[in-house]
Amino acid sequence: MRVTVCFHSYFKDLAGCAETTETLAEGVTLGRLHEKLAERFPKVGAMKNSTLLAVGVDYQPRDYVLKDGDEVSLFPPVQGG
Amino acid sequence: MNRQLTITTQPIDEAALLAKRKLSGGMGAVVYFLGVVRGEEEGRTITAIEYEAFQKMVEHQFHLIFDVMEKRWPIESVRLVHRIGLVRVNEPSLWVEVVTPHRGEAFAACQWLIDEMKRVVPIWKKPVA
Repeated sequence: MRVTVCFHSYFKDLAGCAETTETLAEGVTLGRLHEKLAERFPKVGAMKNSTLLAVGVDYQPRDYVLKDGDEVSLFPPVQGG
Repeated sequence: MNRQLTITTQPIDEAALLAKRKLSGGMGAVVYFLGVVRGEEEGRTITAIEYEAFQKMVEHQFHLIFDVMEKRWPIESVRLVHRIGLVRVNEPSLWVEVVTPHRGEAFAACQWLIDEMKRVVPIWKKPVA
């Protein structure tokens, strides 16, 4: 299955791109995808402890099981206001 | 609960927002808050802040916050405007208004809304020197 990965805020600069795709086995969790992305994008990986993870427009826990076509977003702590 | 959410690149027009305020007879409290860009960020002088938003998630997360507010407080109306893009020093980036029967719940709901926004709504700021 394939998922789209979007980086927001300065994570775009750390990743060197705003968006990428990942091909994953069925049953892969959001946490496992995050670990794979941390290896592929080490500068994003360095921010692992403060990274927020969302699927679509909702935050999801690391044990969320990804589905084909999911849009995953990674971003730093939010700063509105 | 009436809710109005605006995410915009346009300057916040306070006078126009105040002119559109609607209150029923049972409402006794209107709390509104204006967040303004400061001329200093982490000890450095700045001229503006560039706000970036993950727009579709911003809207969804604000509505989740409004859903909780509606259950917790007797709110007649909440209106929120958040500016994105370049906002210069002394210009407002955020305008929030909460209308309730009494002041306690209006202050509490407004404070909680802003605290939650700063926790979950995906908006980021980049200081501009």
